[in-house]
Amino acid sequence: MARVLARSLSKKKIVTNEGKMIGTLRNLVVDFNTGLVVDLIIYPDPSFDTTGYRMEGDRLFITFEAVKDIKDYIVVDRYLSRK
Amino acid sequence: MRNQITEMFELKVYTEKSVFVGEVEDVLIDVESKKMESVVVGKLNQQLVDIKNYKGLKIPFRIIRSIGDIVLIRHLAGAFRPGDD
Repeated sequence: MARVLARSLSKKKIVTNEGKMIGTLRNLVVDFNTGLVVDLIIYPDPSFDTTGYRMEGDRLFITFEAVKDIKDYIVVDRYLSRK
Repeated sequence: MRNQITEMFELKVYTEKSVFVGEVEDVLIDVESKKMESVVVGKLNQQLVDIKNYKGLKIPFRIIRSIGDIVLIRHLAGAFRPGDD
């Protein structure tokens, strides 16, 4: 069972399951009542095309549902990450 | 209630009997269940007999009652004994 410390995630790179770099992790959105991790908040790379993604200002949001694994990179599902 | 996880860092942890336990240093996340599994607490209150000489504690998320200006946890003296994490 993969468990990670929140502080170790800061500034980790996000890539899709097809190997495309999205950007750098900025923060996580969590629900303090249920303990659920809801979203990833990402600073997208300037070269990354953000159309089809949830944006708030310069920050990109991806649901934590899309996360496939976290090791050296955070790998997200290409389809689930768009919404 | 949705918040950013960094807001939890450095919050003070108290039990329901208003005993100071320590400060939140980190949060352990279970990637598969997509949940916060436990809270890593440091700067422990050395007056607490059960956690004397401990540098840090891992408090399971299920004993957390609520999170606001402080983190309020259930008062479980037994949970702080060696052998439990």
